[in-house]
Amino acid sequence: MAETFLQEMKRYVGFSGEDAQLLRTLGPHLEKYFPELAERFYSQIPHHPNAFRVFTGGHAQIARLKQTLQNWARGLFTGVYDEAYSTDRFQIGYRHVRIGLDQKYVISAMGIVRSFLSECLLLEFPASDERLRYARSLNRMLDLDLNLMCESYMHATVDNLRSLNEQLERANTELAEASRSKDEFLAQTSHELRTPLNSILGFTKLMLDGLATSPDEQRELLEDVYHSAQLLLGIVNDILDIGRIEAGKVSLHLETLNPRHILDSTLPLVAVQAATKRLELRDETLGTKLPQVLADEVRLRQVMLNLLNNAVKFTERGTIIVRAAVHAVNGQQFLRFEVEDTGIGIPRERQGAVFEKFVSAHPAQSRRQGGSGLGLTISRKLVELMGGDIGLASGGANRGTNVWFTVPLAAART
Amino acid sequence: MSRPAHILIVEDNRLVAKFYRMALERAGGFTCHVTENVAEMLELVREGHVHLAIVDVSLSGSEWEGRLLDGVEVTKMLKTAAPSRLPVLLATAHAMAGDRERLLAASGADGYLEKPIYESEVLVASVRKLIG
Repeated sequence: MAETFLQEMKRYVGFSGEDAQLLRTLGPHLEKYFPELAERFYSQIPHHPNAFRVFTGGHAQIARLKQTLQNWARGLFTGVYDEAYSTDRFQIGYRHVRIGLDQKYVISAMGIVRSFLSECLLLEFPASDERLRYARSLNRMLDLDLNLMCESYMHATVDNLRSLNEQLERANTELAEASRSKDEFLAQTSHELRTPLNSILGFTKLMLDGLATSPDEQRELLEDVYHSAQLLLGIVNDILDIGRIEAGKVSLHLETLNPRHILDSTLPLVAVQAATKRLELRDETLGTKLPQVLADEVRLRQVMLNLLNNAVKFTERGTIIVRAAVHAVNGQQFLRFEVEDTGIGIPRERQGAVFEKFVSAHPAQSRRQGGSGLGLTISRKLVELMGGDIGLASGGANRGTNVWFTVPLAAART
Repeated sequence: MSRPAHILIVEDNRLVAKFYRMALERAGGFTCHVTENVAEMLELVREGHVHLAIVDVSLSGSEWEGRLLDGVEVTKMLKTAAPSRLPVLLATAHAMAGDRERLLAASGADGYLEKPIYESEVLVASVRKLIG
């Protein structure tokens, strides 16, 4: 069997069973000096410039520690220096490293103990033979103790460094991850921005160069420029929004709102485009009295408009239906809005991901129509900030989509 | 210039394609055909009607055998289908310099157009340089 560290050290300092015996008989002789040892030891410590950085408990803590030191001194003379003793010494090292006590203080403290106990021997044993025997055993035991403590400091320090290292590695991985997603965001958004910019600059340059001659053609190009500029503005707004949201800098102005006003101010904005595509836009809330909600007016309108725009964008024929109904979750009352379309739907495997940044259920369609790719991500964050929830259901590809979100009722909060 | 050069434009963004077409046709000496349809472009190329193709690197509507193709793959197919050497300009919106060489090598394209491109002279000059 391999030698333990304790056995190794006993051999190294020449500590034997005989020493253990002697120390056990020495203990009772020295007991009466322990209070003075504790006193001498801790009377100096408060004068150390760093003392109260370590002993944060102040003088009360130092009073307690005087008692601890006496117990520790008693422990030196039990005559039993086994593995349990060694473990106990190790724990002291771990404790000291944890509170940030430097090893050098313990080495000097052991020096104080050693010289004090030597003085005690001088007082206690006038016969020099006896004194010498005790002094030898005592010194071997203190050597042993110092070795155990120093070893424990090393172990504790290594353990500390290891866990610190693990923490750093984790932080490093997280930083690399964050930096990568920032890079991807930048690459993606610069691409989204360039597309409409391309048309704006290209067509205005063609006109400036006098390459579009007829008024009809000039008007057509101006319309293209105008729509591209609107698209660009939308993308810029979305990018600023997501930045603000992710930095936690969106401040909501929550107030009691009539949902009717939200619907009446958003539906007309998509009505023209729906009509152009010959889609029916049906508001099923008409004629029903909707309860007031507690929300940010601008943000609620933004979410609603985003869902309506998506519905029009991804539906080629059929109907877009808007619904609203009271809905209770865990005893709290919400108004649940729904925008349902008969469009291209979302394949099941993509339904969870469409709320992520730049994830589209239909990349081809999205690219052709243009957009920031951030609409649903922003909508989800805004709804969550307002205390609601958002989700969607789709029967799958070409089976339409139903996107819903909730906002708390004004009466539900006090 | 005697007969106009036929340019095939493979681009999924309507307005970008419109700009290419207008810039080239107004400069004179070009006729353009815009399509994302792979079968259609292959046929045009095979018949020898195309003098140069402008192919966007990221495509969204060019399906072939049930799979979406990108501009690199389309370029390779067009080059193989053409009865004689067909110059191809690859349009890239990838702003990174390293990407360009990699895409040119992978596709066998003869040059690239870095998007955004809004100077019609740049476009026309790039095309003329390759047609000779």
